[in-house]
Amino acid sequence: MDENTTCTGNECVQEGESFIRIDNLSKTYQKDEKVTVAIEDFDLDIKKGELISIVGPSGCGKTTILRMIAGLLEPTSGSISIAGRPCSGPGPDRGMVFQDFALLPWRSVRRNVELGLEIAGMPKEERKARAEKYLEIVGLQDFADSSINELSGGMKQRVGIARALVNNPDVILMDEPFGALDAQTRNIMQAGLVRILEKTDQTIIFITHSVDEAVFLSDRIVILTKRPAKIKEIVEIPWPRPRDRASPEFTALRKRILEELEKENVLQ
Amino acid sequence: MNFKYDNNNKYHRLGKNILVVLASLIIFVELWWFIAELIDSRVLPTPPETFAALKDFLANGYLNISAWDYISSSLVLFLKGFLLAFVVAVPLGLVLGFSKTLNTFVTPIVEVLRPIAPMAWAPIFIYGISYGTGPILVVFIGIFFPLLTNIIFGVKKIDPTLVDAARTLGANKMQVFTKVMAPSSIPYVMNGIKVGLGVGWMCIVAAEMYSPVAIGVGYCISNMCMSGLWDSTFAILIIIAILGILTTSLSEYLQKYISKRMGVE
Ligand SMILES: Nc1ncnc2c1ncn2[C@@H]1O[C@H](COP(=O)(O)OP(=O)(O)OP(=O)(O)O)[C@@H](O)[C@H]1O
Ligand SMILES: [Mg+2]
Repeated sequence: MDENTTCTGNECVQEGESFIRIDNLSKTYQKDEKVTVAIEDFDLDIKKGELISIVGPSGCGKTTILRMIAGLLEPTSGSISIAGRPCSGPGPDRGMVFQDFALLPWRSVRRNVELGLEIAGMPKEERKARAEKYLEIVGLQDFADSSINELSGGMKQRVGIARALVNNPDVILMDEPFGALDAQTRNIMQAGLVRILEKTDQTIIFITHSVDEAVFLSDRIVILTKRPAKIKEIVEIPWPRPRDRASPEFTALRKRILEELEKENVLQ
Repeated sequence: MNFKYDNNNKYHRLGKNILVVLASLIIFVELWWFIAELIDSRVLPTPPETFAALKDFLANGYLNISAWDYISSSLVLFLKGFLLAFVVAVPLGLVLGFSKTLNTFVTPIVEVLRPIAPMAWAPIFIYGISYGTGPILVVFIGIFFPLLTNIIFGVKKIDPTLVDAARTLGANKMQVFTKVMAPSSIPYVMNGIKVGLGVGWMCIVAAEMYSPVAIGVGYCISNMCMSGLWDSTFAILIIIAILGILTTSLSEYLQKYISKRMGVE
């Protein structure tokens, strides 16, 4: 069963080494006569504890890459491995945070966070304590028993992040996690994510349409070409976090990346 | 008195609704009375005649059988038919919503059977099988199809990202089913039950009319009509209406309550 393949290995890889290796990844969608090459020969090495953003023109194949890493989508060719173990099929070692939250509305906040632990068969008291710890990390300890429908968008996504964190995955995959939020909430969430990074040293692959967000958060930004997506450039950002959006180097870098993306869009 | 109606006050709204419903019922009874006096026929009794017959039926029963026995036997048959439909339709609907191939296989059978009015089965089931089981099967047919189609629809409407979310948390197929699919479809099951109960209640009364022995309120109707007891017949109609209202309001209440609990409104 591919669903049971686990790629645990948190302990055996030191920070800084190549942790996630994506090799020659390709994806071609075929629907009747229509063939869409979404990804071609995509290679990427990701270090443990790194936050890597992927930006690129709309429809270039970002979601496709992430869903293949998550194991929700079968690659046409190529391979993905974590800590040396190949992954196929989804598993709790790769958490995912969804743009539209994907929370179960019939469960309370805490029971949503507990979901992965419940699936893993953890005893009730233990998972309750663990869920509460992660609710505290995302600042929702006072809402543990609230229903999902009572929460604002930003709070919902914090539940989504806690739900992914609680499993202690090797990597968290985020597909435009703040895309459904207003600008102000978005900034708050970004700052919150930076704090979580300080506390947990979580490896994150982060897809976004906002270059500003990418520069604010990332250790590296992968800029993709238009479809079929190839890597156009990888930008390293060695600056410590939290970062100052108003600083000249921040604005200069943001401007340069935007210009790169602009070229891709103009070509279409 | 300086009472001022406030539309935002729950009790004011409730009070207003009760008054409107009362007015509607009073006008209905008045209209009935007026028509009954107008045509002056034994077949259409006036409200006082009907209520007198109702009192008599509730106190003395009919053909040496108590009113409660008639009513309870109808309710028991109804409940059995409902339970049978429930235990068959829920698993079948979930599976059919899940598997495309099975759905394609079963759909033609369902579509052939579904347009047949449940009542068309009544004589077959009652004379062909038994007057005990027959009405149950008629109710079963009446409830089964709306329930099944609602559940299939519900499973198809399940948000695929919820399934993705569960899978990325490590859920296997069985866990996806128990943690996501089954709870997501509960509001649709409830909606199917609501529709089904309404149809089922009509079915039980109609099916009992074919019954050769004295069971159920449906039997009372056909037997009373044939004996020319029109007052009593109308009394039974009132009982049927009240029980029908009770079942539908109960299921409506349950459906709303559960939908709310499940976070879908
Ligand atoms: N299931 C599918 N079947 C066929 N084509 C698909 C499918 N999913 C995606 N595509 C196509 O593959 C390409 C890449 O899609 P993808 O969703 O990965 O892009 P994206 O970069 O995430 O876009 P966006 O920025 O809008 O989120 C698009 O052209 C899309 O139409
Ligand atoms: Mg996308």
